[in-house]
Amino acid sequence: MKDEHEIIGQVYAAKEDVQAADDLIRVYMPFIKAETAKFLKRLPIEGRDDEISIAMIAFHEAICGYSRSRGSFLKYAAMLIRSRLIDYVRKEQKHSRVISLDAPSGEDEISLGETLADKKDPNGETEIREATRSEIQELTRQMNAFGVSLSDVAENSPRQQRTLEACQKTLQYAKEHPELLEELLKTKKLPIARLVSGSGVDRKTIERHRKYLVALLLIYTNGYEIIRGHLKQIMKGVAAQ
Amino acid sequence: MKYMVMECHPGYVIVLDEEGRFLKAANFQYEVGEIIENPVLMRKKPIETRRFGNWVRASVIAAAACVLLFFGFGYYQTYMVTYSSVYLTINPQVQMDLNRQGTVIRLIGTNEDGKTLLEGYDGKGKDKITVADELIDRAIEMGFLSSGGRVSFSIDAPDEVVLTEYGVEFRTKITEYLDERMEVVIQITDHKAENGSESSLSPSSSSSQSSGETSQSSQGDSSSGVSSVAPPVSSAASSGGYGDTDYLPSGSTDYVSSSGDTDYSSNYTDYSSNHTDYASSANSSSQKASDYDDGETDYDPEHSNETDDED
Repeated sequence: MKDEHEIIGQVYAAKEDVQAADDLIRVYMPFIKAETAKFLKRLPIEGRDDEISIAMIAFHEAICGYSRSRGSFLKYAAMLIRSRLIDYVRKEQKHSRVISLDAPSGEDEISLGETLADKKDPNGETEIREATRSEIQELTRQMNAFGVSLSDVAENSPRQQRTLEACQKTLQYAKEHPELLEELLKTKKLPIARLVSGSGVDRKTIERHRKYLVALLLIYTNGYEIIRGHLKQIMKGVAAQ
Repeated sequence: MKYMVMECHPGYVIVLDEEGRFLKAANFQYEVGEIIENPVLMRKKPIETRRFGNWVRASVIAAAACVLLFFGFGYYQTYMVTYSSVYLTINPQVQMDLNRQGTVIRLIGTNEDGKTLLEGYDGKGKDKITVADELIDRAIEMGFLSSGGRVSFSIDAPDEVVLTEYGVEFRTKITEYLDERMEVVIQITDHKAENGSESSLSPSSSSSQSSGETSQSSQGDSSSGVSSVAPPVSSAASSGGYGDTDYLPSGSTDYVSSSGDTDYSSNYTDYSSNHTDYASSANSSSQKASDYDDGETDYDPEHSNETDDED
């Protein structure tokens, strides 16, 4: 019983703190493996069985989604791991069938060709990845100055299409008014009032997604070409509207 | 959709999709900066959806409960509530409670023999005719009923239509069932009339009508002469002093069908006219007064007219 209380406290701490969450996952790795083994009916091999990764994210989801009203945390986590594994296996089954049908026919060259093109130049790939990594590191560092972490942003990211579009509209307005971006960098604050009046997006929406907008606006300041390139197409679409 | 891996954690990675969403996904040994295509994304935070889900679920459950209650009540009304009762009397007395469908929902032995008859028998959920057949079989097996015996169905139904319907059904089906096996008198009476006022009321006339019909039909199709006997007859059957009937003297209670229909109906009229005669004979043969009354209630001019008309 006391043990249970302890883990509940840990889980609640992990909800707030990314590091604590990572530590909790590490500590409970044997449990995650055991649950995966129960599902696979064999011992999972780390680094080879994708199921472990699924089980781990399910555990993470359990941390995020747990509340005391749900009873024992480990039972909740085990339940979630099981259901996510089932979902994954089902999805994979569907997927594997599609591939096995397409591969021999040779019709679906597009997707195959794409994957091949990516693999063709491993050196170039590594270089690009290296550059991307440094960009991301820089972004993370800059975001930390705002007191925003990527995990926060991931929690804060808009989920509804409508909200996402509102955020993109805000971003579009900021892009057209570079002085806003400068103000952001200088004051380390999101100029909410001006964004609201300029973009016409509801103030609540902007306030609610403050961290997310900080990250997006930062990406559009300067020096994040690769990330921006990754986002480019969608932003063009918004500009066209 | 392509996703850029932004941050790696042991349990998950944070990815950025092309529309600018930051998402959590399963970590298949990804590295920061990697572009991935088919990540397993983490579900939305369950708390919010759950709350909404709870609300939706609760309302769905409530709606379902309402529907169930509604239909359940209908079901209860149709299948569970005693709609009519049939008192089966051989010597063992058994009360059969039926629902609207005519299915037996309860069997009670109303006397000692009835309880014995029902011992180890479960008629719940069976059709009334099936139960009646089976009970009669059991009665035969246990020696309560033998050839020449009498089976009486006293029906307690809420309305006349049902009463008539059940009366006809019992008579024809049981007759069929026992046909060529045993000669048994089947008597159908209205339970209400029996227990209530003893004068000839409309329900009783209807029951006698039904019995008249059935006895006619059975006369028509059974050449062997073994057939059921019309209700009024039950009392008369055993009354030996009845000279001009087609019923044999007491002892053999079967209806002799050698006489034609017309004969039968004429007897009917005779019967009602010889009313007092009959009463005395009934008394003399130490018939129960109630039995006699039954006969009388079953027997009214209206009926005899009808039979006449039919002929």
